[in-house]
Amino acid sequence: MITIEKLNTFGANTAEGLGRCFGNEALYLKLVATIPGEVNFDKLKSALEAGDLENAFLAAHALKGVLGNLSLTPLYTKVAEVTELLRGKTAMDYSASLAEILAKKEELGDLCKD
Amino acid sequence: MKKLRQSATVKRHVLIVDDEVVNREILGNILSANYAVEYADNAKEALEVLSKKDKQFALILLDLLMPVMDGFEFLKKRETSETLKLIPVIVMTSEKESEVNSLKLGAADFIAKPFDMPEVVLARCERIIELFEDQNIIRQTERDHVTGLYTRDYFFEYIRQIELWGSDIPRDAIVFDIEQFHLVNEFGGRSTGDQLLAKIGAALEKELAPMNAIACRADADTFYIFATHQENYDNVRNIVQGILTDFFEVNHIRVRFGLWENVDHNVEIEAWFDRAKAACDRNRGDLSQSFARYNNDMHARYMFEESLIRDLQSAIDNRNLIVYYQPKYNIEGDVPRLTSAEALIRWNHPTLGFINPSDFVPLFEGNGLIQKVDNFVWSEAAKQIRQWKESYGITVPVSVNVSRIDILDPELEAKLMRLLEENSLSPEEYMLEVTESAYCENMERLIEVIENLRKKGFRIEMDDFGSGYSSLNMITTLPIDILKIDMSFVRNMEKDERNLKLVELVAGVAKFLKIPAVAEGVETESQLNILKDMGCQIIQGYFFSKPVPPKDFELFIEKELERRRNS
Repeated sequence: MITIEKLNTFGANTAEGLGRCFGNEALYLKLVATIPGEVNFDKLKSALEAGDLENAFLAAHALKGVLGNLSLTPLYTKVAEVTELLRGKTAMDYSASLAEILAKKEELGDLCKD
Repeated sequence: MKKLRQSATVKRHVLIVDDEVVNREILGNILSANYAVEYADNAKEALEVLSKKDKQFALILLDLLMPVMDGFEFLKKRETSETLKLIPVIVMTSEKESEVNSLKLGAADFIAKPFDMPEVVLARCERIIELFEDQNIIRQTERDHVTGLYTRDYFFEYIRQIELWGSDIPRDAIVFDIEQFHLVNEFGGRSTGDQLLAKIGAALEKELAPMNAIACRADADTFYIFATHQENYDNVRNIVQGILTDFFEVNHIRVRFGLWENVDHNVEIEAWFDRAKAACDRNRGDLSQSFARYNNDMHARYMFEESLIRDLQSAIDNRNLIVYYQPKYNIEGDVPRLTSAEALIRWNHPTLGFINPSDFVPLFEGNGLIQKVDNFVWSEAAKQIRQWKESYGITVPVSVNVSRIDILDPELEAKLMRLLEENSLSPEEYMLEVTESAYCENMERLIEVIENLRKKGFRIEMDDFGSGYSSLNMITTLPIDILKIDMSFVRNMEKDERNLKLVELVAGVAKFLKIPAVAEGVETESQLNILKDMGCQIIQGYFFSKPVPPKDFELFIEKELERRRNS
């Protein structure tokens, strides 16, 4: 189960995230726990692999909003970077960035499982 | 108001449109503190929720990038819907470019993602709801329902706002009304009149928009226009006159314009239009010009009248208003007998000197202030009758004027009875004069009031008889005790055969009704003899005396007492 302590070690700005939830810890943690199962990670992955920058942008953009609102800083920073590149339809190799994002997502997933 | 708005019992509905559960829930959690929150997954679903009309939404929070239908499309659809436009939209976005685009599409505000602290989000939502509600209230109240133009109060308020930022720009105040408009309502009914006014309102709105001008309906058929100065307003005149001509299918019903060009910005805004209206009001009858400009002569007259209006109360308080009395004599016997008097108002102004009653009586009749004057005269006359009664032991009945507006005063009878009681007088000692023209307007009401007064014992004189338009048939049914022949007929009866015939006719009517006829304005012995031959019993005029102050009137009473002693 995810906790505030675990999220702090993950690098999330839990004070900010909790504040945005009006201090409602149960709500905050419930919403954080949905992130590892967020379909937009899969959408981002498959769109990037298919070179579909348009749909990759949409997925990244949606993720960025959600991650930002939960102040999951390490994931948010990476996704925000990629979103800006995709907005400009920058043609480049996204595999390293994608791997980093997915690794961070896995890490959060593990914290939620433990 | 603010407190009432935020009361927990009136929780407004707010719609959150976002495809991301996390965003929806965070925002929902924030807003549910103050609002009843509903959700939609995308814009299409939002439109469905909004179309149900079972709930009134106070605010929509809209994500921009969503599957199925995005936020931009929603904003475009909203622009074309009168009902959706009434609900403010706050856009949730993290891009500057989208902020600009959504504001252009009618969004009221935006909330950045990630969201600000809850307090900030809540405050922003509250502010937007309040602004929109105020705006909707203003939209509901700023327009006159008949014409669609501004109401008078909003019109003046908007001008005040415009003036704050451009008080050095030359402006014009224009007032127009429709000649004989009351006939439209009278013959066609109120709805016909309203239809005409609505047509004028719609046409004005269209014509004025490119002129940088605004308009309101100030009263009945009177319209005000505030415009940046232009050479002439023929365009407006032609449009309004065209509507009138079409509507009546005749071209003699005229629109009259009054114009004050290049208004003085130091003068109060309301007064700009009072002056334009003064010009409009003086623009009667002259068909050669439909525009009357407010000019120096009019200004002098206007300022004079304004000072009379301003000074009336102090004139009453300081006794600058004085009641004069003109004797009336019965000429039936060999020697004329003093029968009664008419109370007439005089004004000795501290700076303007004696003011001609023709300068202030019609003015006060027009604006209703005559009621103050009448009430003053009534009270003075009642006191005077008592005083003479106490000093001389006889009653000199005094007649006082009852104006049209007094007839509408529900307190009229009570006021008069109170005066009599205070001075221990009976109604027979006090006479009331009502002008003939008052009889023509609102006849039923007038007859009712007069019959009640007569039942109390008052005697009613019909003043200026012959100057109005009473039909002979009407006269026979009127409750009157004395007919007064219009002064102008008496004055001209020796010069003009027609006037003589009219006097004869009126004297005949009085005889037919078996009531006395009083002739006013009698100046010479030959006039008196003619009237006497016609059977006119009572005479008033310079032949006997001009109106005089009470002290001077006492000489007539003393002479009368002497005559009685001698006979």
